[in-house]
Amino acid sequence: MDLKTFYCEIGGNYEETFKRFMTDERILKFVRKFPLDGSFALLKTSLAEKKVEDAFRAAHTLKGVAQNLGFDRLFVTAEKVTNILRGGSLEVDALMPELEELYNLTITAINNL
Amino acid sequence: MPKSGKQRILVVDDSEMNREILTDILEEDFEVIEARDGVEAVNYMRSFGEEFAVVLLDIVMPRMDGFNVLEIMNAYKWIQSIPVIMISAENSSSYMVRAYELGAVDYIQRPFDATVVRRRVLNTIMLYAKQRKLVGLVEESIYEKEKEQSLLINILSHIVEFRNGESGLHALHIQTMTDIILQDLVRYTDKYKLSAKDLTLITTAAALHDIGKIAIDDALLNKSNPSQQEKDEIKKHTLYGEEMLSKINAYQSEPLLNIAKEICRHHHERYDGKGYPDGLSGDDIPISAQVVSIAVVYEYLAKEYNHDKAVDMILNGDYGSFNPLLLKVFMRVSDKIRSELHLNSAGGKSRYDVSRISREVIAHKELGVSRRMFDMVEQERVKYRFIASLSGELLAEIYFDPVTMEFIGDSAEKLGVDRHIADPLNDEKIKACLGENNLAAFKEKLLAATKEEPSFDMDCEIKAGGKNYMCKLSALVLYAYNEDKRKSAAEGAIVRAVLKEG
Repeated sequence: MDLKTFYCEIGGNYEETFKRFMTDERILKFVRKFPLDGSFALLKTSLAEKKVEDAFRAAHTLKGVAQNLGFDRLFVTAEKVTNILRGGSLEVDALMPELEELYNLTITAINNL
Repeated sequence: MPKSGKQRILVVDDSEMNREILTDILEEDFEVIEARDGVEAVNYMRSFGEEFAVVLLDIVMPRMDGFNVLEIMNAYKWIQSIPVIMISAENSSSYMVRAYELGAVDYIQRPFDATVVRRRVLNTIMLYAKQRKLVGLVEESIYEKEKEQSLLINILSHIVEFRNGESGLHALHIQTMTDIILQDLVRYTDKYKLSAKDLTLITTAAALHDIGKIAIDDALLNKSNPSQQEKDEIKKHTLYGEEMLSKINAYQSEPLLNIAKEICRHHHERYDGKGYPDGLSGDDIPISAQVVSIAVVYEYLAKEYNHDKAVDMILNGDYGSFNPLLLKVFMRVSDKIRSELHLNSAGGKSRYDVSRISREVIAHKELGVSRRMFDMVEQERVKYRFIASLSGELLAEIYFDPVTMEFIGDSAEKLGVDRHIADPLNDEKIKACLGENNLAAFKEKLLAATKEEPSFDMDCEIKAGGKNYMCKLSALVLYAYNEDKRKSAAEGAIVRAVLKEG
């Protein structure tokens, strides 16, 4: 799978990302590192332990990384989760399945790159 | 600047991915150092100081967030020399406003765009470089001016004292007293409308009060029992002084010169009008001259009798009348004057815990002239110690002959060693802390230092309080001139240590 197809599959924006990163090599380098970022896992454990501040920071980081890599769909959902947690509320159950699905989709696609 | 020749920048973000993206964009032009949170960032700033050309700072981070980092940078005034660009994903205006208020200079929005990031960082560095250069230029010219001024004044007053058979400390004593009295006076009343600059000018000019004595024959000046006619001639030093200063055409608009003129002419006037040369009374006598006149009388009486008697005689009006307000001030500060003047005389203990080096040098008679400079050096040292204690650095001084070491502030406690150590290179506690090998390496570097390359750095692992630390040691060997003033010898060293847990 090439980068363009990859971005299409996960609901990202290849053109815009290319403009910012300037080369495919650089995009690839960081996309491949995405699975190593622990913020999604941290978000899940923090939610399970009801640690709202840690959960907020993790969601916030995930949102920032997704934004930087041009993973738009993931970014939008992560942002929603971040905004709820920012207010001190743990009521993100409605959004978490969607976020998890998007996250897993992205990881699978990266593994096929 | 770091050894790579590239400027060093600090990227602070809790997301490794974001740090790496920024590093990737910037590492071609810069040496990039990454910090995972605010605490690490502050530690790096402590170790590298103003060497960071820019800090890229995230806001939401564990342990210490970006706002706290900015607050600390403000507290230590790092913010004035290190520009900060915010890189948070928080684009809400309240976050941005707060960051700007705390001194951030720019904002890079996410997602990061390689060209924008590079351009923003370069622009910020260029802007700051220009500003630093300007500040440097201004500082330099002020310093040059101040240096020339006080050097010249010190030389002149020294010449006068030399001919007077005075100690060489006379002018310094008058300056010290003038300063103490004025500082207290302005706390007490705003009657005389004296600004901080006025105080400096009066204190500086006070050294010139007896400059007119140059125009009087030294045989007459030093005569033990002058006749009335001879006394009258000596009194004219007030007029000669003013006249001499008035003939310097070039600087007539300089406030310093004008204050010096009024001090020269009027420092023997008395509040009741019974002084000379003009018999002015009350506040017709310039306040500068009023202050100097008390100082001059005290200096004379304290030498003739002692401190207590001098104070009594002045308050009693035995040596002429003074402004009641100034007498109140004088009473309040008389103890301070006694201790400061005692400290200020050669051989006395200095007020700034003077190191052996400066004590020795000051003991040389001819150093009346540069005494002020040493005071300034000592003040710098006091300042540095204070700042070092705030930033958590450890400091010590080593003297070479004989080899002794003194830890400063709470450095000794932190390391678990003694504050004063007689033979540090063979001290058991130092060995336990630094380790034999490190100590040997340190000694070797210390001995290898030269006047051309007096400083060195050393990275090592040390033990303190049962913990291991990464330690960055920096040392500066100090040189002092010996008596024939041509050769210089290593006198001691200052050692700084920055510890990092690890």
